[in-house]
Amino acid sequence: MAVDERTAYEEMRLKKARKMGFGLGLLKGMAVTLKHLFKHNSVIQYPDERQDLSPRTRGVIALKEENCTVCMLCARECPDWCIYIDSHKETLPPKREGGRQRKRNVLDRFAIDYALCMYCGICVEVCPYDALFWSREFEYAEYDIRNLTHEKERLSDWMATVLPPPPLEEGALLPGAPEPELRDPTPPATTRPATATASAVETRPEQEATAPTGGQATPAEAPAAMTTETKEQGTPSEPAVEKPATPEASGVSAAGDIAELSDTSPAQTEAAQVERPVSDNSGVPSADTPEADQPHVAGGLSEKEVAQFQESPGPNVEVPHEAPHPVALERTEDPEAVYQQVLQEQKDKGSSPQVAEARAKVARVKAERGIKRGPTPMHVDKPVPSAPTKGQPAEPEPGGAPEAKDIEPDPGPVAPTDGEA
Amino acid sequence: MATTEDRFTETDDLTNQMSVENLATQEMVLNVGPQHPATHGVFRLLATIDGEILTDAEPVIGYMHRGYEKLVEARDYRQITNLVSRMDWLSGINNELPLALAIEQLMGLEVPPRAQYLRVILCEMNRILNHLMFFASFGAELGAITPTFYAFREREDIQRVMEDTTGGRMHFGFFRPGGLKEDVPRGFYASALAGVRQVIDRLPDYENLLVGNEIFKGRTIDVGVLDKQTAFNYGVSGPIARGSGIDMDVRKDEPYLVYDHFDWEVSTAPNGDCFDRFWVLVHEVVESAKIVEQAIEGIPSGPILGKVPRVVQIPEGEAYIRTENPLGELGFYLISDGDKKPYRMKIRTPSYNNVSCLPAVLRGTLVSDMIAILGSFFFVLGDIDR
Amino acid sequence: MGYEVNLPFLEFTFTAWQILIVKLLVILTVVPVGALAGGYALHKELGHLQHRLGPMYAGGFHGWAQTLADGIKFIYKEDIIPASADKRVFTWAPAAIFVPVLMLFLVIPIDRSLIVEDLDVGIFYLLAIGSVGVIGTLMAGWASANKYALIGAVRGAAQLIAYELPIVLTAAAVAMLAGTLSIVGIVEAQDWPFLLWPPGLGFALFLVFLIGAIAEMNLPPFDMPVAESEIITGAFTEYSGMRFIFAFFFAEMGHIVAFSGIATTLFLGGYRPIVPWGPLEHIPGIIWFMGKLFFMFFLIIWIRFTFPRLREDQLQKLAWKYLIPVSLVLVLATGAWVLYAPESIWP
Repeated sequence: MAVDERTAYEEMRLKKARKMGFGLGLLKGMAVTLKHLFKHNSVIQYPDERQDLSPRTRGVIALKEENCTVCMLCARECPDWCIYIDSHKETLPPKREGGRQRKRNVLDRFAIDYALCMYCGICVEVCPYDALFWSREFEYAEYDIRNLTHEKERLSDWMATVLPPPPLEEGALLPGAPEPELRDPTPPATTRPATATASAVETRPEQEATAPTGGQATPAEAPAAMTTETKEQGTPSEPAVEKPATPEASGVSAAGDIAELSDTSPAQTEAAQVERPVSDNSGVPSADTPEADQPHVAGGLSEKEVAQFQESPGPNVEVPHEAPHPVALERTEDPEAVYQQVLQEQKDKGSSPQVAEARAKVARVKAERGIKRGPTPMHVDKPVPSAPTKGQPAEPEPGGAPEAKDIEPDPGPVAPTDGEA
Repeated sequence: MATTEDRFTETDDLTNQMSVENLATQEMVLNVGPQHPATHGVFRLLATIDGEILTDAEPVIGYMHRGYEKLVEARDYRQITNLVSRMDWLSGINNELPLALAIEQLMGLEVPPRAQYLRVILCEMNRILNHLMFFASFGAELGAITPTFYAFREREDIQRVMEDTTGGRMHFGFFRPGGLKEDVPRGFYASALAGVRQVIDRLPDYENLLVGNEIFKGRTIDVGVLDKQTAFNYGVSGPIARGSGIDMDVRKDEPYLVYDHFDWEVSTAPNGDCFDRFWVLVHEVVESAKIVEQAIEGIPSGPILGKVPRVVQIPEGEAYIRTENPLGELGFYLISDGDKKPYRMKIRTPSYNNVSCLPAVLRGTLVSDMIAILGSFFFVLGDIDR
Repeated sequence: MGYEVNLPFLEFTFTAWQILIVKLLVILTVVPVGALAGGYALHKELGHLQHRLGPMYAGGFHGWAQTLADGIKFIYKEDIIPASADKRVFTWAPAAIFVPVLMLFLVIPIDRSLIVEDLDVGIFYLLAIGSVGVIGTLMAGWASANKYALIGAVRGAAQLIAYELPIVLTAAAVAMLAGTLSIVGIVEAQDWPFLLWPPGLGFALFLVFLIGAIAEMNLPPFDMPVAESEIITGAFTEYSGMRFIFAFFFAEMGHIVAFSGIATTLFLGGYRPIVPWGPLEHIPGIIWFMGKLFFMFFLIIWIRFTFPRLREDQLQKLAWKYLIPVSLVLVLATGAWVLYAPESIWP
């Protein structure tokens, strides 16, 4: 009955709308455009003004080199096969007297070809050691396509621009937190004024928003605090030395990226088990065990595990941290000086004035934002891409090896044309 | 000596010879596209015209064929999620949905309620984005380019919410079998509500600029009529079918996710012309906004990913999942042989069926009408060719 | 016939042909510069109507040099002539379009004495020259050997025939009101602009003239001959570089400015103040003229970017079924007004 009435009303409206008017509609249209003539417009004058992009923006992938264990997962999972990794093995003396000699992978080359990359983020998602991060920087267009292949130095430079993950919305469940009572999922009364919700959402104080998760919410916010702290102190290396899980790393794991960990391939799982004995012991279920069906919040890394992991990292992870990467922004170089210097460098190299100026401008912007200027070669000869299938498995143990063989030859990189209609 | 009668017949003959019917005219084949501003991409229409009247029209598609159905056979499910998001690039997250649903059905996964609500919110916001794009381009095709800019301004607010949430602007890659990639960032509810309300607040501007405009009415009313039966015969779905009076919406007919929790209407219009299709589009934006508001109001707390095994490996079996894409019914027919990759995946895209009825609609219209009809047959090239 | 310059520091006499050369030079520089300025105004107004800013960079201050930069870019572009085009006709068509636009400016009085040639049949000349350009459009469309260009050219010709009549009839009504065909005479006859007086009648004439003028300039909502999203700038599809800018951009801009000037002259009182009131008389005529011209320009652009485009048959219907009968009635009414309105109510 009510539906019929509504339908009848809709039909009436449509009939009314279809009736030809006498030019009043034209005048109304002119009023609309005239109204906009006097409104403040919403244009952002891009190079002068910049939009503050979201921390989750998939702009460029940053590499935290010391976290990388050359497990090759990213290269194998990449749909476009645009990650090139080279490594060699190093033998380390045994830790204890009479122990076995240990072997360790050393990263020689890590490059991402952004000309191929489809920005899906699978590599960031599968990385079990938090070595890859999204940064929101996007201004790395090049005059030469070869320069779009960022080598590991350049990828490491992007690390300085990585933001901590944003705090989560009210109602989000953090790992390890007790499952809160679900709100009644039945449809809300339609008579309730919608504006009430808006005001409720807007007026909710910050503390209250974190309330459902209690004290557990802090890990998500902690990295932000820590980063700012380090920024202010200007001693960026300090926290990073001590903890393998740097602010970003712990932030990412705590803020729910455990979900990503939990649905990676078995190879990765096994690798993770081997690499991270602590986590393994504390009950990370493998794919085969019945525990695998547990929800990720309960079965993944708990808060405690994260803490344990931070305290006692595996032997393989520990080593690279002797040379930590600066995390916080540091403004060591004067942008203008950088500009002049790069301009001069480029001129000496024989670049055309336009190119030189463009590069110098890029350098200045980067200096302003605190990105350290890496050795960006003018022309990198295209290196022979290392075939990802032939890459070494994560560990000498047979765990990861079969997976490596299982990879089927792909029909080639996919490059779907993206365009607006 | 010619009689009066003879003279009359002579004149008649002369008139006959000179009349339009007897003039020796030739039909001309006008090649619209593959590069033409009205075709939204590499769509080609071979129009046979007599003066300005189309006597025949033949859509030629396939310029952008990328072989998705074959590509997915060589990729694991996570990679496929990112791939299908590029099929219909205006509604990426709506494309990921049926894939996730199909996997969940085959694996018997439970999706937590919070994830279902968030999926609904994101899908509906994406629907609004898509519909705004088509209002904009429809206006531009009829010669009014100003609404385009207004629509893009509105889109930007919602686009921003989507970007804050998923990290992407067009290819979101946010749905996972069993739930979502990660939870939404703080401020999501407020900004999503604000963005959606903004669109609703500004709809009167579009009504004044387009719907209420006499020239717009003159260009669209009774132009390109697609009657109900033809629409059925060609398998037309989505706003175009609803504009022809077919009350069909997968969200209502076979509710998936939590669409049956909300109070909303399927908007239809009976006449099947360009105006009605546009009318349905505008009203779907209002309905989507209603759904978003209600979903944000009723969203439960909890996890966003269900009990998902570490490896998404689907047991042997097959499933057909259909969902309501902004442009119509999107179906994924997934056959698995127990591998980590699909054995076969048939994709039924809305645009493909929708454009197939173009010759039937276009015959007998004018060249200018052809542009209006192409604009009102909301299609995305990537969705046709995939 | 000569012109004597009697200034304290300058005293000589121009001969007629010298005056002609000077005037032509002035027109030849003023029109392209006016078109550039008009183009800039168009960009800015369009931007703000569409909630944007328009050009902001070229030249520094609010992108003032944008159209200049565009023009220079067009000069640098390669001039492509399609292989199967009729080369001679294709080459000359832009001239056939652009020269009549230049010639329109000869009889528009910017101030009482600032006019190239005050013809006795000025209004007749304007109407005649204003419609010559379509020959160029036809030449361009036919010579391009392109189906879209051909459709555009034919549409343009059909449109011209439909819209010449309302313009001519309204102009005739104006001439009747003024009692002269001379443009300066028409302006001088407007103590109150014809838009306001005779009340109602003048406004109706103005509306009909405006619709006709927009249609004749091929601007939206009557831009079917160029219809960007349908037949891709119609007759000019195959043009590029300098020829395109002369055939399309300069001609269009010049047309808008010229028709704004004509409407100003015929209906808004030209260089005379908008109401005959003492203090306003002291403002120089050139300022009045430019202000009114800018208003007309603004109005035309405003209409242009608000409305969708009509269909060709709807345009013909509108012209033949509504505008022409209406303008015939208006001519009758004007005649009645001139004959029977008592002298006392004339201001």
